[in-house]
Amino acid sequence: MTIHIGRVLGLGVLTIATTLVAGCGGPSITGGDGASAEGRLQAPDTASPSGEITIWDREGDLFQVFEATIAEFNKKYPDIVVHHEAVDIASKLQNTLITGADVPDGVFLDDQLVAGYADHLWDLSDVLKPYVNDIAQQKLDVNSLNGGIYGVPFDLDPGLLFYNQTALEQAGVDASAIETYDDLLQAARDYKKAVPDSGPIHLEQAAFLGQLQLEMYASQLGTSIADAQGALRLDSPEYEQILGFLDTVSKEGLGTRAEYLSSTDVETLDSGKQVFYPWAIWFDFAPTQLLTNTSGDWRAMELPAWKAGGARSGAMGGSSFILPKDGKNSQLAWLFYEFLMFDEAGYTAVYGPNSVYPGGLNTSIPSYVPAANPDKPLFEPVAGMGDQDLWAVATAAGEQIPGSAPIPAWWSGAVDYLGNNLQKMLDGTMTPRQVIDQSTTDIQTNLIDRQ
Amino acid sequence: MADTSSRPRAARMISTVGRQGLLLVLTLAFLGPVVWAILSAFKPANSIIRNPLSIDVSQFTLANFAEMFHDVPIAHGFLNTGIVLVVKGSMTLFFAPLAAYAFAKFRFLGKNLLFGAVLITLMLPTIVLIIPLLLEMKELGWVNTYQALILPGSIDAFAIFWMRQVIEVVPDELLDAARVDGCGEFRVFWSIVVPVIRPGLAGLAVLTVMNIYNDFVWPVVAASSSRMATLQVMLSTLSQQITGNKIGADYATVTGELLAASSVALIPLLIIFIALQKHFINGILAGSVKG
Amino acid sequence: MAEMMITDHNPALIRRSRWRQLRAKTLAPYVFVLPFVAIFLAFSVYPMLFTLRLSFTRWHGSGAATWVGFGNYTYLLTNPSFWASMANSGILWLLIVPAQIIVALVVAVLLNSAKTRLRGFYRTAFIVPFVTPLVAIAQIWVVLFDQNYGAINAGLNLLGLPNIGWLTTSAWAKPTLALLFAWKTTGFIIIILLSGLQSINAAVYEAASIDGATPYRQFWQITVPLVRRTMMFAVVLQTLAVFQMFAEPFVVTQGGPYGSTTTAGYYLYNHITRADLGTGAANSFLLIIFVMALSLGFVRLLRAKD
Repeated sequence: MTIHIGRVLGLGVLTIATTLVAGCGGPSITGGDGASAEGRLQAPDTASPSGEITIWDREGDLFQVFEATIAEFNKKYPDIVVHHEAVDIASKLQNTLITGADVPDGVFLDDQLVAGYADHLWDLSDVLKPYVNDIAQQKLDVNSLNGGIYGVPFDLDPGLLFYNQTALEQAGVDASAIETYDDLLQAARDYKKAVPDSGPIHLEQAAFLGQLQLEMYASQLGTSIADAQGALRLDSPEYEQILGFLDTVSKEGLGTRAEYLSSTDVETLDSGKQVFYPWAIWFDFAPTQLLTNTSGDWRAMELPAWKAGGARSGAMGGSSFILPKDGKNSQLAWLFYEFLMFDEAGYTAVYGPNSVYPGGLNTSIPSYVPAANPDKPLFEPVAGMGDQDLWAVATAAGEQIPGSAPIPAWWSGAVDYLGNNLQKMLDGTMTPRQVIDQSTTDIQTNLIDRQ
Repeated sequence: MADTSSRPRAARMISTVGRQGLLLVLTLAFLGPVVWAILSAFKPANSIIRNPLSIDVSQFTLANFAEMFHDVPIAHGFLNTGIVLVVKGSMTLFFAPLAAYAFAKFRFLGKNLLFGAVLITLMLPTIVLIIPLLLEMKELGWVNTYQALILPGSIDAFAIFWMRQVIEVVPDELLDAARVDGCGEFRVFWSIVVPVIRPGLAGLAVLTVMNIYNDFVWPVVAASSSRMATLQVMLSTLSQQITGNKIGADYATVTGELLAASSVALIPLLIIFIALQKHFINGILAGSVKG
Repeated sequence: MAEMMITDHNPALIRRSRWRQLRAKTLAPYVFVLPFVAIFLAFSVYPMLFTLRLSFTRWHGSGAATWVGFGNYTYLLTNPSFWASMANSGILWLLIVPAQIIVALVVAVLLNSAKTRLRGFYRTAFIVPFVTPLVAIAQIWVVLFDQNYGAINAGLNLLGLPNIGWLTTSAWAKPTLALLFAWKTTGFIIIILLSGLQSINAAVYEAASIDGATPYRQFWQITVPLVRRTMMFAVVLQTLAVFQMFAEPFVVTQGGPYGSTTTAGYYLYNHITRADLGTGAANSFLLIIFVMALSLGFVRLLRAKD
C-alpha cells in the first residue's frame, strides 16, 4: 500500500482551488420556494375532486389502520386514488423535502418534528378554520408557528397513571386516594414498606423518552421547554418542582430505573416490583400484549396533580399530518385528512374495531373533541386492564390538558443536553438546579444560536 | 506453522485440543447471535420481547413470516436488489480491474493524482455526500430511478485498490509477449490479464455482491418511493419502528417481522457464500498483499 | 518497462508496428481509467465541492444559504462535544483494532496450518457475522446485554460477579459497542490476514524448525514480521471504518448513554438530522482531513521500518 502525501495534498489543493476560482461548487443551494408569503392551503372548489395522492405512513400498526380506512374514504371521494406507502420517515422526509423531488402529498409525523419542517409545509390555517374551535388546544398549539398551523392534528395522547391494582391491594395501598404527586410519593413509600425489594415508580432511562415524559409533567403545569417566541423557559418554578419530584423518587429508592419496555422494565412490571407507571395512554400496549403474569391487574387513572385542584393530565407524544408545499395534489391530500379526522365515518374507521385492533385503536384518543365524546366510545374496554373503560378515563383526562406552546424545531436535538442531564440527575451526579442551568446554557449555544 | 513432529505425542495432542477448543469457542461466539436471530424469527412476536432468551421449540410458529410476507413486498425488494446487483456488480467487476490494470502496468500523466483520487474515495464517509448527491439526483431528474441506486459508487475504489495489488504481480513478460503477437492493449487485458487474475476476480465478485446486497445508507435516501425499495431499505423501514424511540405501541409485531425478513434476506447470501467459499477464499489469497 | 523481444527481421515492419503499439500504449491507460474518472468526477468530486462550499455557510435546507466564512469550523473546533466525538472514536479504535488484529492473526495462523481440521467450516463460520444484516443483530445485542435480565450478566452472576450496566453506563457502553463492531468485522480481517500468510514461503519455517525455533518464536520472529504489511493494510482499513462508524451506534445506542457512543460519524449525522447542513459539511471536512492524516501516519510508520 503506497500513499504519497504529495499526490493526496495535490488533489486537495486542486479541489479547493477549483471551488474558489470557479466560485461555484456543485448544485445551487435553493431548496424549496423560500419565503413565499402565499403559503396557505385552500380547499379545492370542485364538487367532484379527482386525482392521485401519495401518502406516507410509518411502518407498523398505524399503517395497517390507515390502510383500512382508504376504502371508506373512496366511498365519499371515489375519484381520488390513494397511494399509501410505508416509509422510513425519519431517514427520508428531510432529504425529500430538501431536494423537492417526488415529494409525497401527506406525511404522518411526530408532533415534536413538525416545526422543524415548517418552511417546507403548507400553512393550514384556512382549511382548518371550520374545525379549530373543536380541536384540543394542546394539539393546535404544538402545530403552530408564527401564526400558521403546519399539521392536521391527529391524536391526543393524555398522560395517565397506570398502576397494578392487584399488587397495590395486596400491600394495602389504596390507589384511588392518590390526587397529588405528594400522595403518589406516600403511596410509593407505603408500597415499598410492604414490598422492600420494589421500586414502585417508573423512572425512564432512555434520554429521549425521559425528556418526552418530562414534557408531559410540564404540560400539566401549562409550560414547556420554550415559549411561543422560542425562548427557553427551563429556569422556572415548574421545572424545579418536577425535577425535585423525580430526584426524590430516585434518592429515596422509590423508583425502578429502566428503559421503556426493555427486559428489565418488563420483568419488574410483571413481578410486582414496579407498580406505578406515569405515561402516555399508549403504555396500554404492555398489559395487553407483553405482561403475562400481571395482565388484567393493571388500571389507569388520571395523573396526580402537582398541587391540589391542578390539571390531572398532560400530553406525551402524539402525531399529526403534514402537507408539503411541493406535493402535487396537496388539496386532495387535505380532503383525505379532513375525512379521516373530522368526518364521523372517517374517525370511526380510524379508531373503531379493525383487523389490527379488534377492539378498536386504543393507544390514543382523537384530538377532535366531537370524536372524543366520553359517552360515545370508539374503542372497547381493554382486556389487559381488567376490562376497564379506558376510553372514559382517557377522554376525561384529555379534556384537562392545558394549552401548550409550539414545540421548537430543535426539540429532538435538546435530548443530548436536557435528556442526558436528566439521566445524570437520576444517576445522582447532578442536582435539579444543575440540570436546569447546564441544559439552559448548552441548548442556547448549541441549538438556539445556530438556527 | 512449522513441523512439530519432533515433539512428544502428548504435547501434540494438547496443542490440537487447544486449537480446536479455541476455534470452537470462537465459532460459538460468531454464530450464536445469528442462530439466535434466526430462531427468534420463529417465536411468537410478543415472546421475542417478553422472553428474548428462551427458545421453546414447541411454540415455534410461522406467524412472523406470514405477517411479513403480507405486509412487506419482499419479492419486489429481491427484484430491485437483483437489478442493482447485476448492473452495479458488473460495472465494478469490469471497470475496476480495467482501471487497476492501467494503474498497475502503465505510466501516464496524472497517474499519481488519479490514484490519490482512488484513495480519497476510500476515505470519504458515505453520509458526507448524501445531501449533495441527492440534490444532484434531483437536478438530473434521477430521484427514484435505478440510475440513482446504481451509478454513485458503482466503480468501487476499494476494488480498484485491491485489483491493482493483484495485477501488479502479473509478470510484464507475459504482457509484452502478447503485444509482440499483435494484441491491442484491450486484448492484452481481456485475454491475458483477466484469465491470470481470475481467482482474484472471483474474490472480488463475492465481496462486491455482499457489499451491494447489504448496502443501505444510500439506497434508503435515494429510493424514497416503495416502488424502488431494495431489500435492505425494507429492513431499515421495519427497524425504524423499533430501534428508535419506540413511540407508539405495536413494535412486538414489527420486531417479529424484522427478524423474519432478516432471515429471509440472509439465506440467499449464505447459500452464495457457502457455494462459492472456495473461490472467495482462493480469490482473496490470490490478491494477497505480499509480505 | 521490459524491452520487447524482437522476432521479426523486417525493420520497416517492426518500426511501424512499434509506433502503433507505442501510440496505443500511450492512449490505452487513459481510456481504461476513463469510466472510473467519469464516475468519480460526477458522484464524488462534484458533491464534494458542493459540500465544501456548504461548509462555509449556514443553511437549513430551505431558502438561501448565508455565508459565514470559517464560522462553522470555529464552532466545531471550539466545541467540547466535537472533540468528545473524536475522542469516543479514538477510544473505540483502541478497544477494537489492536485486540481484533491480534485475535485475527492468531486465528489466521491456526487456519493456515495444515494440521487444523475443518478449516473450510471455520472460514465460513467466521465470515457469517460480516454478511448478516446489522438491524437483526442489534435487537439481539440489546437483549443479551440488558443490565438485569440479559444473558451476559446472568453468566457473570453464575461466577459470583455483580451485574454490569453494559448499555446504560458510559463506562461500559463503548466496550459493548466495540464488541459488536469487532464481532461483525473480525471474520473479514481473518481472511485478509490469511491472504498475507499464504504468501510466506513454507521453506522459511522449515529452515527455522531445523534451527530448533519453537512455534512461539517462529510466530514472533517469522510470521509477524512477514505479514506486517498485510497487518498494516488491515489496520488502515479498520481505522477508516472505525472513524466512519455510524450504523452500529445508530441501531444499538443512538449515541448514548450521555453521548458516550456518539462516534465521529454519528456526531456528523446529528447535524444532518437537525438540518444544520453547513455545520455538518464542515464536520465532514474536518473528519476527512483527520482520517487522511491518520492513514498517512500509519503508512509512514510502515515505510519507516521497511
